[in-house]
Parts: sequence; structure tokens; C-alpha cells
Amino acid sequence: MLLAMMIAPLVFVLIVASRPAEHARGIALLGSGVSLLLGLISWRMFIRPGGPDAIDPLAFSMDWLPSMGIRLDLGVDSVSLLMILLSCLLAPLCVLGSWTAIVKDQRTFYGWLLGLQAAIVGVFAARDLMVFYICFEFTLVPMYILISRFGSTNRRAAGTKFFLYTFTGSLIALAGLVYVVWFTAQHHGGWTLNIDRLAESARMMSATEQAWVMAAMLAGFAVKVPLFPFHTWLPLAHTEAPTAGSVILAGVLLKLGTYGIYRFVLPFTPVAVAEYAPLIATLSIIGIVYAGLICWVQTDVKKLVAYSSVSHLGFCVLGLMSLNHAGLQGSILYMINHGLSTGALFLLVGFMYERYHTRSMNELGGLAAKMPVWTCFMVFFVMASVGLPGLNGFVSEFLCMLGTFQAGGEGGQWGLTGYELPGVTWGVLGPWYALFAGTGVIIAAIYLLFLVGKICFGPLVEPVGHNDHPGPLPADLTGREIFTLMPLAVLCLVLGLYPSPVMDLLEPSVAKTVAVVQSAAAGESRNDAHIGAHSGLDAGAVIVSEVLPTVDSQTGGVR
Amino acid sequence: MLNLAESITSLLTTATDAAGGLQQAAGHGAAEAAAHGATHATDVVMGPWYVLLIPLLPMLGVVLVTLTALLGIRTKLPAWLTVACLGGAFATTVVMYWNVSAGPAVTYGFRWIDLATGNGHRFTADFGLYVDSLTCLWMLFVTGLGTLIALYASEYMADDLKAGYARFFMAFNLFVFSMACLVMADNLVLMFLGWEGVGLCSYLLIGYYFKKPSAVAASKKAFVVNRIGDLGLLMGIFLTYVEFGTVQYAELFPMVEPYVELVKSGMAWDVPMRVGLIPVLFMVGAFGKSAQLPLFVWLPDAMEGPTPVSALIHAATMVTAGVYLIARTYAFFVVSPIALPIVAWVGAATALVSATIGMAQFDIKRIMAYSTVSQLGYMFCGLAFLSTAGAAFHVLTHAFFKAMLFLACGAVMHGFAGQLDLRKLSGVAFMKGWGIVGIAMFVGCLNLAGFPFTAGYFSKDMILAEAFVTQGPGYSVLGWVLLVTAGLTAYYTFRVFFRVFVGPRHAEPGDDHHDHAHDAGEHGDAEPDHHHGFHPHAPGWAINLVLALLTVGSIAAAGLYFVDKENHGWVGGMIHNSSAYTSAGSAAFLDSANIGMHVDDPVGTGHSADHDDAHGGAHGTLFGQDPHKIMYYVSAVFGVVGILTAAYLHGPKGPLGLFIGGRTKAATSRADGLADAMMPLPTYARNKWYFDEFYGALIVKPLRALSHVFHLIDKLLIDGLVNLIGSLPRFVASLIRPSQSGLLQGYAAGMAAGLAVVVVTVWMVIAVTGGGS
Repeated sequence: MLLAMMIAPLVFVLIVASRPAEHARGIALLGSGVSLLLGLISWRMFIRPGGPDAIDPLAFSMDWLPSMGIRLDLGVDSVSLLMILLSCLLAPLCVLGSWTAIVKDQRTFYGWLLGLQAAIVGVFAARDLMVFYICFEFTLVPMYILISRFGSTNRRAAGTKFFLYTFTGSLIALAGLVYVVWFTAQHHGGWTLNIDRLAESARMMSATEQAWVMAAMLAGFAVKVPLFPFHTWLPLAHTEAPTAGSVILAGVLLKLGTYGIYRFVLPFTPVAVAEYAPLIATLSIIGIVYAGLICWVQTDVKKLVAYSSVSHLGFCVLGLMSLNHAGLQGSILYMINHGLSTGALFLLVGFMYERYHTRSMNELGGLAAKMPVWTCFMVFFVMASVGLPGLNGFVSEFLCMLGTFQAGGEGGQWGLTGYELPGVTWGVLGPWYALFAGTGVIIAAIYLLFLVGKICFGPLVEPVGHNDHPGPLPADLTGREIFTLMPLAVLCLVLGLYPSPVMDLLEPSVAKTVAVVQSAAAGESRNDAHIGAHSGLDAGAVIVSEVLPTVDSQTGGVR
Repeated sequence: MLNLAESITSLLTTATDAAGGLQQAAGHGAAEAAAHGATHATDVVMGPWYVLLIPLLPMLGVVLVTLTALLGIRTKLPAWLTVACLGGAFATTVVMYWNVSAGPAVTYGFRWIDLATGNGHRFTADFGLYVDSLTCLWMLFVTGLGTLIALYASEYMADDLKAGYARFFMAFNLFVFSMACLVMADNLVLMFLGWEGVGLCSYLLIGYYFKKPSAVAASKKAFVVNRIGDLGLLMGIFLTYVEFGTVQYAELFPMVEPYVELVKSGMAWDVPMRVGLIPVLFMVGAFGKSAQLPLFVWLPDAMEGPTPVSALIHAATMVTAGVYLIARTYAFFVVSPIALPIVAWVGAATALVSATIGMAQFDIKRIMAYSTVSQLGYMFCGLAFLSTAGAAFHVLTHAFFKAMLFLACGAVMHGFAGQLDLRKLSGVAFMKGWGIVGIAMFVGCLNLAGFPFTAGYFSKDMILAEAFVTQGPGYSVLGWVLLVTAGLTAYYTFRVFFRVFVGPRHAEPGDDHHDHAHDAGEHGDAEPDHHHGFHPHAPGWAINLVLALLTVGSIAAAGLYFVDKENHGWVGGMIHNSSAYTSAGSAAFLDSANIGMHVDDPVGTGHSADHDDAHGGAHGTLFGQDPHKIMYYVSAVFGVVGILTAAYLHGPKGPLGLFIGGRTKAATSRADGLADAMMPLPTYARNKWYFDEFYGALIVKPLRALSHVFHLIDKLLIDGLVNLIGSLPRFVASLIRPSQSGLLQGYAAGMAAGLAVVVVTVWMVIAVTGGGS
């Protein structure tokens, strides 16, 4: 099933390539529609009664390079499935959103868009490190082409920077992952690239080794997220990218970073994460506030939304660093919710750009008078992005902050050994982190309402000479454009009011990760305190195996 | 096939067990969850299903009104749909009020946020409604006034039938829905949904005339300032969860009880600091939503919205949400030794400051706005003086008379093309067709001024008397502040009445900014006939009917004081059966007084929130008398003096100026000379004591500057570093091929890059080692 989801877009790439250009968008719509359908079917299969993790009905596995231990291993847990669903949903919307915006080289554009879709499915479905890494890197190529060929004026520089920056980062990440593979081969005999096995053995590494491996992996993933101060490629890339590129970039590609942290950094190097979580959390909070304030002084609408992504993704990483259930679930929900609301904002900005050919807030204002429907959607998605309760953004933001607030049992700001308060969990953050991150919520209201107040409301301002050359599009949104936005709006509302199905789906996967991370890290810190010696490989291995049996089977916490 | 279970060793197996356990925990159904909420507190019963209609009917209104907009219906249908839906909600509320027994009831809706948080605990915040008499009290006036004001708005907004009519009523319905969620929620998070939801509606409705830059700015300001308070509330919710492991009222309140007992037995300082901090955080939210110092600046600007919105949201209902929050979580406030004194001082300061600002304004709607802020200060003081009944009664009476005052001002605004300047209007009550407006205004002013035997008089007295009864840090000083403020209130209220509604008939139309602001571009150069042959149009049946009903209601509200005398009025009885009631009372205060404040009677038994006259022991006095009894006279004197001052300074010649007035023209009065003599104080007060300028210079401008600095840093420093490092390979290549041009710059760039690399490395090392330790 997962293999089919990877292959189907590629088949349609071939069809796009072999048909005349004017058919490209139709075929691409069909292709992305098919992958959306496949995504929905796999979701049905996944939530079948019997427990999602008992037998994975979607998995696919075959030998690839047996001598190297490389297999074509595909499989999903609820986290990766949701990310796949998100990308499957955004793909047809991107095609619809670009329907009239892309006029030249349609075959190239839609072909690469579909290719990107295949790579994204591969990244999330990969159970084998090699598959993951190939797909992870391959996402760069279509994106590079989308930006540097279909972007606006400064597109080449933006594309090159995007490519080089993220590529350099992921090379360093590769070095860290290769070390883990080597370590596994050394200590367990035989090559394996299975991610779960690697994670298991990586946890046997000493704290120092874990720290280095974590640093290497973060180099790749933090650039991708992007985490402050590695974010400067993003505003440029977003601003120059075509609408569909921005939507996929914000909606899915950035999540490769946070997904990478969830899938690799947390389970591979829990001890190091627990040690450096305050540092990473601090960087996220700086990013939240810093990027949020930068948003406020932007004049380019798209750049504002791009910087807001930096700010929002800070919450996502912060949630991950809380290392507890609420934070992790919030963070994963955040990945999805941010994809929906920010994707929609980019679409809206794109629709506006198609009509006015400018994104400068100095040349635009009071568009509500001309585009009431567009304004309605704009206000709606801005509110979702601000984190208004009842819409999707709130649930995830709330949980990220709650997780951060709680996380401080031992070694954190609550400083409670045995954490006798019911709401305190193991972790190394605490209320002050949540408070400072919370200022980001105020700042988000400031800059997003500034945006709406400027371009939607107030006296009507249009670029000089705009009305002299009426374009092919009507003043307000067309039916196609409304149809593009509607699914996102509905999902924002549903996930805001009734997120429990998704949360129930996530709970087992998250619980597993939390148990693994907390037991390893908490055990380490406990031993650290009591024994005071954890340097060297054997000590680390001994500690982990010693601690594991004491894991409380109900909660994963260590008593 | 990939099989996770197979490939996982003992390590993950353990974890899988953990996950399995959680999965089971997650599988519990809706009914179980409902039972879960109800089992912990034994006295909480399952509520009736129909209370769900109270939030759902306004939601239905939202949907129906949206449909009319989509279908392009340009009639008054949205208004009638709104009146019907809100009327239905009101009827349901009445049924709920009849059937609600003493104990609280929880009605379960559906699962919202519900997850395991580790340690065997769950975080559960579902869509459930908690009904006790406090809920009933609030919902009665929210839905009741909502219905009436929707009816009023059907006429008031009729000029916008072509555009915006449906938008207005959509947001109006959404507001009532959010308010219902806020008031009826059975947990703090759903309450927060309502809390932010009313903020959204306030944003949408203040910015209703979206072409007006001032309206857009005001709406933004309201939302952002509210958000500052909301952050405090959010932190309070987190802290509550951390401390108690639940955010559901039904579980929470019994858990606070032991602390209340602790306070009662005089061991207030044994309550953990964290618990004492919760109400302080809640309070921040309450100050934002209820426009108290220092977060009150948004409310006066909110008058940019249509007047029905000002009446409903910014006078009667939404701004009392802060009072509701404190009343709802009153047990938390009682156990904190610092929370209520802060509330008292902030409330009294707000009452005084905004009253002084109100005295100097010329815009009658703004005067009403400042008086709202001021009256909210009274309500907060009432809460702080352990008179939740007084505070709630004042909320109720204020909701009626202030909504009425706003609606009367709105009728004037509607009829006189947006004129609100009290120097340009005079004798309105005696113009043809304006009788009901005049009477409503008169009754409303009497109430606000606290004229004897009006509802506002009784409710204000309850609060004022407690100021002298309750022991607390400087409470008797606050009592005098509030008394003086009551005098000022009477003065500025009747200043409006004497200037605008009686006296020589005179009216200059406004610039029509309320009706056609959204068409501002169209009539820029063509407004010749505004000042010639202007005919004010008197209000129609809907406006008159609503004003008449509210007038009767405001008068009748005084009667509530005499119902259920033993609990100090009907409202007191309602409070008695709710979570706002606590008998710990001033034990907390006696204790805090023992710490450092002057205390009259340290061995007193304390004064309970529902005090009756049978209490003995500690009891403050006023002029050596029981404040409860003497306050009737003292406050009446202050009120009447205020009114007489207004009559002397602003009243017209003749009987309507009580024979002491001397005004003959609309524009001038005796007060002008007095104001000149007091310069520059009136100018300062007129400019809001420069709060806005102060915040602008101290917070907004620096923040904006900081944003620009950040932007520069981002562009030059961070991105510059990246670019430098990025150009390093090219630079190395150019070194290898020395014939390339630009060698010198290359060297310079290389040195800078090298330096940057060193700096970054050192910084990272410091950060990593520093952050890790």
C-alpha cells in the first residue's frame, strides 16, 4: 500500500511527461487525487479494529542490498501516517491553487510536484535508514527546481541557498547517522539499517557519543525546521517560491525537520536530549519571539507568513523538548495544524498575488471591499494561526505549552523528586519556559492582526494602474479557489472542536516514544546523581539495561 | 512483512506494554468520561440535556445567518433569526433556572481535549456544561439582554441592509455562543474557549466599520490587550492542572476545600505558594477582559463598534467575564493571602481614575464607556470585600441600566447622524418622538448615579458598606475612595443628562460616521445638506420597545433586593448556592491583617461572604455606626451632591435645572469657567491621563524598534554569517587560482569568515557547556 502511494505519483510523472503541456495540470490533479484516495484508504486500513501497531497492514518489506543490510522497508505508525495524509491532502490543493498561476513549462512544474509527493511519502514511510535518507535528500531536488524555475525575481539565489544550506545540514546529519550504523555494526555484529534496531542500539552509546550524534543530527534537522539561528534560508525561499512550492514547503517539508527530531533524535539519543533540552528549548523560544517580532516589521505579505512559520515551528520543537505526553502530542498535532493553516495562508497570499502582482503591504489595503470572500477566509485562517480556541491551532499550541509547563520533575524547574504534584511530569523544562513561549502567543496576535488590519481592512488601496488592465480572474475568489480552501477550513474547524480521534490515534505511538526517552534519560540522570560515573560505553550500556526493568508499565515513568 | 514486535528487544517490549496500557485507558467512551467527571464530587449530578441548547441555539443562529448571507438575502431576516434563536436560548435558560436545585449539575456534551499525560494521569477538558445558580444568574441576563439588544439592532443596523447586516448578526450570535461557553463551561479550558471566543467577536464587531482606520486600530488593540491578560489566565490554568491534576470544576472545587478549611482555622500561610499564585494569574486575565488598570485602555476605544455592540458586549456582558471568573473560582481567591487585596486596590484605583477621565470627556458614548470601567472597578471591589453577592448584584443591575444608557445614546447617535458631542446637542428629550429615549436615559442616569431607591443604589451600597466592614489592608481608605467616586459618578452622569436631554432644544448633526463610514470614499466632497434642513429621525418601534422594557426592568431590579432578604436579595440567594459562596470569608483577611496590617479586632470570628446581621465580633464601623445601616444615608448624600453639582454647572435655567442651573446655550455652561480655572487637570483627564501615550512610549515603540533591530540583525548578521560561510569554498577556489580578480576583497572576506567561524565555534562551545550544566 505504501509502496503504491510512492509509485503512483511517479507513474503520473511519466504520463505528464508524455502528454502535451496543456494536459499537465489535469493529469497532475488526477495523480494527486489518486494519492489522496490511496492515503484515505490506508487510513481506513490503519484504524481498523485490532490495534494499529499489532500488525501493520500497510507495511512493505523486501531485500535491496542484503550484504549491506539495506532493505526496502516501509511501514507507518500513527505519526508518520498523519504526516503522509497531510501531504496527500495538500498535493491536489497545490495543483488547484496553481491552476492559473503557472503558465509556462507546465509539464516541468507539475511533473516535479508529483515527484516531490512520492519522495515525501517515502520519507515518512521509511523504516530503513537508507530509504529515509535517499527520500529526505531527494525532496530537495524538486523543491529546488520549483523555486529556481518558477519563483519570482530573486528565485535563483533563493533556490541555491535553500539547496546548499539544507544539503550541508543533512550531510552532517548523515555523518551522525553513519556513526550510529557503524556503532551498531561494531557492538551487535552485522550491518543493519533498520531504524528501530538502530535506535535501540544507539541508546547504548555513552552520553558523550550521544551528544555528538545528537549535534550532528540536529545540524540537519534544525536547519530544516528551521530552528533559530539556522532559519535565514526560509524567508527567502518562501518569498521567492511559487504558491504551490510555499504550501508544500511550509506544510510538509519543514515538518521533515520536526519529524526527524521525533523519529531520530529523541529515540536515538535520549540522554543527550535530556541534557541539552534546555538549550534547544531556549533556542526555540528565542525563535518564537524573535521571528514573531520580525514579522511585525515586514512589508512583504509572504515574508511575514514565512517568518511566522519560524515562530510557530518554535512551539513545535519546544513541545518535543518537553519529552512528555502532552508536549509530544501537541507537537505532532502542531505539525499537522501548522500545515493546514499556514498552507492556507500561503494559498490566500498566492490568490491575492495573482490579482495584484504585488505582495507589498504598502501598495495594498482594505481589500475587504473588493474581495469579501477572500477576506473571510483570511480572517478565519489568521485566527487559526493565532491559536484561537475552537480552531485547530489552539489545541496543539495549548498542549505544547502545557507539556513544557509540566516538564520539570527531576532536574527541571519544578525540582520535585518523585514529582508529587499530579500534573508534574519528568522533564527538564518548566513554567518559565512556558511563560516566555507564551509571549509568542501575544506577539502572534500582534503581527497577524497587523497583517489583516493592513491588507484586509482600512481604506481600499490598490497598486497604481491596477484597474487599467483587468486580468482574467474576477475581483473576488473563483469557485475553484474556494473549493481549494474549503477542505482546509473544514479541517481547521474539525480538528479544533473534535481532535480526539486524532489524539487517540497518536496516543500509543507517543506513549511509546515517551516511555523510551524518559526511561533512558531519567535512568541516566538518576544514575548520574547516585553513581556519578557514566563516561565510557560500557557504563552507559549497563545503566540502560539496568534501568529498563523498572519502567512502570502503565506510565513509562520511573519510580 | 515488517513486524515491529519481532524486531524489538526487551527494551521496547516494556515500552509497548506501557503503550498498550495507555491505549486501553484511551478507549473509554464518552459516557464513561462523563461519569468520570461526576464521580469525584459526590454532590454533582447529571444535568438535563436541554441546557446544551443554550449554547447550541446561538450556534444555530450563526449557521442560519451565514446561510442568509450566502443566499444573498438582503432583508431583515438575519435579525429575526437572531432574535428567535436568542429568545429560545433565553427561554431555555429560564427553564434551567426553574429546575436547577441547590447542587451543581454537569451536562456532558462531547470529548474535546482528552489525553494521557503520564504518571497515570489524564488531562481532560471536554465540552461539558456546569450549571449552578451562578451560571443561571449570568446566563439569564446574557441571553435576555442579548435577545432585547438583537431586537434593537434590527432597527439600528437597518442602514447596513445592503452590506454587513448579516455579518453583524453572525458575529452577534457567535458572541452569545462564546459567552455561553464561558459561563457554562465545566472546565477551565472550555471556559478559556469562551473567553477567547468573546474576544474574537469583540474584535470582529469593534472592527465592524472596517473602512475606518480608527475602528480597525481599536479592534486590534482590544484583541491584543486582551491577549496579554489571556496569557496570565492560561498560565493559571496550567498551574491549576499541575497542582490539582484536573481542570474540571466538579473535581477541582472539592480539592480546594481543604485549603479553605486551613484558612478558616487561621493557618492561611500553610497554603502552598503555588496555590496562592493561581488566583493571581487568573486575576491578570480578569483585568484584561474586564478592563481594569493597567489593561483598561482598550475599552474606551472599543466604542468604535456599533452601539448595540457597545451595549451588549462592552457594557453588560463580556466585560463582566472577569467578575464571573473570580466569582466562579472564588475559593482560590479566598485561600490566597494576596489575591483579594490586590483586586481591591486595583478595582478602587480603576473606579477613581476612570471616573475622573469620564468627567472630562465630551463624547457621550465615551463617557458611558469610562463609567463602565469605573463600575467594573466597583464590582471587583465587591469581590475583594468578600461580598460576592454585592458584586454579582451590581453586575446584574449594571447590565440593565448600562445597556439601557448605551442604547439611549445609540438612539441619539442614530437619530442625529452620529452626533455624540454633548456640546452640540441639547433638549433632546423634548423633541418630537424622543420621549421614551428621554425617560430611559433619566432612569438609567438615576441608577448609575446611585440615586436613593434605584437598583443601582442598592447594589452599590452593598459593596460600599462592605468596604468598611471587611478587614483588609487599607480597606476603609478604599471605602472613602469609592464613596468619592460615587459622587463623581453622579456628577458626570447627570452632566450628560442635563446637557443633552434637557434645556434649550438644539442639535447639530454629526458627520454621519456611524451610518456611512463604510462609504466614506463616496461622500467625501458632497455633504452640503448636512447642516441645512437636517431632520433627526426619531427612533422606531423596535428601539422604543426595547428601551421601555429595559426601563421597567431597571426599576424592577431594585425589587430583587427585597426578595430573599435573609441572603441579602435574590442575587445573594443565587450566590449562596454556587461556587462563589464561601464561608471562609474574612478569616483570610484577618490572617493577612495579622501579618502586617492594622487590625481592629484580631480575635474576631470573621465576617462571612453572605453575612447576616447576626454576626458578632469583628466588624468595622463608619461614624461609629454599623456601615450596613448608615451606608444608605452616606451614599445617598454623595449621590445627591453629585447630581446637584451637575445641575448647578450644567443644568438649564428653570425647573429642569432644579432652579440652580443657568445654562441657556448648548455649547457652553458654568463648568467651562471652572475647568479653565483647574487647568491643566481637565486636559490631562480628557487625554486619559496619557495612558496610551505612556504605553506607546514605554512598550509599543521600544518593541517596534526592537523588531526593526532584530530584522537588521537577521538580515546582516545571521544571514551574513551564513552567506560568508557559504562563500568560503568559492574563496578557497579563488586562492588556488590566484589570477582571479577581487583577491583583496577575497582575503578580507576570508578573514571575516574565519573570524566568524571562530566566534561561532566559541559561542557554541560556551552555549553547550553553559546550557548543559
